[in-house]
Amino acid sequence: MTPAQFEKQIEPRWQKLEKLLAEAEQNHPTAAVDELPATFRQVCHDLSVAQHRMSPQRLTQKLNALALRTYRVLERHSAGGWEAFVRLFFVEFPQAVRAEWRLFWWCTALFYLPAVLIAAITPAHPEWAMALLGPEGMVQIESMYGESSKPSDFVRESYGSGFAAFCFYIWNNVSINFKTFAGGILGGVGSLFVLMFNSLFLGAVFGYVHYSGNPMTLYAWVVAHGAPEITGMIIAAMAGMRVGWSVLRPGRMERREALVLAGRKALPLLIGAAILTSLAAVLEGFWSPLNLPLSIKFASGGMCWVLLTVFLLFSGRRSGNAA
Amino acid sequence: MAAARADTLQSVELADGVEIQLRVAGVAVRSMAYLIDLLIRIAIYIGASILMFWLLADVLGPQVTLGLFLLFIFFMEWFYNVIFEAGAKGATPGQRVFKLRVMSMTGGPVTLAQAVMRNFLRVVDFMPFFYLTGIVCMLFTRRFQRLGDLVANTVVTYVELPHTVVAQVPIQAERLAPSQVLTREEQAALLQFIERAPLWADERRLELASLAQPLTKAPGPEGLRRLCGMALWLQEPEEKRATPPPLKGAAYSRS
Repeated sequence: MTPAQFEKQIEPRWQKLEKLLAEAEQNHPTAAVDELPATFRQVCHDLSVAQHRMSPQRLTQKLNALALRTYRVLERHSAGGWEAFVRLFFVEFPQAVRAEWRLFWWCTALFYLPAVLIAAITPAHPEWAMALLGPEGMVQIESMYGESSKPSDFVRESYGSGFAAFCFYIWNNVSINFKTFAGGILGGVGSLFVLMFNSLFLGAVFGYVHYSGNPMTLYAWVVAHGAPEITGMIIAAMAGMRVGWSVLRPGRMERREALVLAGRKALPLLIGAAILTSLAAVLEGFWSPLNLPLSIKFASGGMCWVLLTVFLLFSGRRSGNAA
Repeated sequence: MAAARADTLQSVELADGVEIQLRVAGVAVRSMAYLIDLLIRIAIYIGASILMFWLLADVLGPQVTLGLFLLFIFFMEWFYNVIFEAGAKGATPGQRVFKLRVMSMTGGPVTLAQAVMRNFLRVVDFMPFFYLTGIVCMLFTRRFQRLGDLVANTVVTYVELPHTVVAQVPIQAERLAPSQVLTREEQAALLQFIERAPLWADERRLELASLAQPLTKAPGPEGLRRLCGMALWLQEPEEKRATPPPLKGAAYSRS
């Protein structure tokens, strides 16, 4: 068969495919669209034959473009809407945390140990915490949690300021989560840096308030939203470390493949961390500034920690593996 | 395919085992697309701040407006690209100007998860300034992928392959069997040569034909003629009128 004959022979097939595609690309597909996959495979076959026979480029390119266009139509997927989103948070996210439990504990330890350490030595050696906070930080902390402060000092007068605070926390804290994750691709160094920096800074704040302020004010303020906020940060760092680890130790895979796989595994962690941090923003914007008795503050704050622990430990256990 | 080495075409295997080719976009055109997106974002920011702080602030109060503005910035910063790339066109407005599209390495459209991955990692690609990391990474990968592309398994391609211009000029040459067996790549190169040769100046044709002198065993116009002859032969190896020569030796060995 000459190339010209071949071209003539396959022409009706790709013309049919073109017609079907034009229908499928509109939003009201007709019954003829059922024929699309079969016609697509025929044209794919024609393409590989044309490639093998080294047919004129004009022909292979035409078939190539057509195959690609059809493939995009066939592979078009809907994002799955709310149901998929709910499943992502309540099933895949806790599953992903449990699947990487070692990494979780490493990141948790890397956050809490330096924080507790610096908070513990501050009463004896306040210069460490002071160096970390700087003069402006110290002034700010004095004004917020100083000796004369009361746990009710944070009460905001209006709903508007609560909303503004909530938006600020979303913008600031969730952005930090995303950046923490992104920094992970540098062999985990970026995530580790943000995690340790936050750890030391928070430890210094706690230590310094114990040293020169009224710790009750601080604890009543942070006890509730601290649970999702700190855990969210740890999990965002964990997602970054997951990607970074695949760069350092791809194992038996090619580094490129390991990276793609790690990215897939990190995604539920990242989204989950962002949602936890957003919840923290809601609490910090609207709940934490409420003027309530200390007992209620601490009881509800404790509840937040328990709920979060139960959620991470047990949610999605019965739904099988997400993988 | 031999073509993959001479240009930015990249072969991708579809699920059906078919190889298709993508024309991957390089650093320059992607940077220009990015700049256009940047200008669009700046315009949106300016428009939004005028709208919010002049009009909305009176209705909602300054604090709520400030909050809304921060939320707006948050979504623009992180999701502007994500929403466009995961959409039907698979491209941001800037990319559409240059007829670019983000694709999954499998040839299919980008999923939401892939769009999130490749765009969240922009922070690192940007470091230390002006996407230096991303640009260096693109120059060192075969498919011009920055870090975000590598993790998300995506490429930025042109929507269409460039159209080859076909010149309808009869070629003045006798069909000629090559003097040696040609590999597939060599055959492809010859076929592409004869497809494109009519578009070039005489000097260019001779220059390229002289590269094939080991094959044609002749310099100048004679070499070009022979090369075209071989390409014609490759296009149609057996002449329809010619009767095959009788196989003389076969009868002896068979018996």
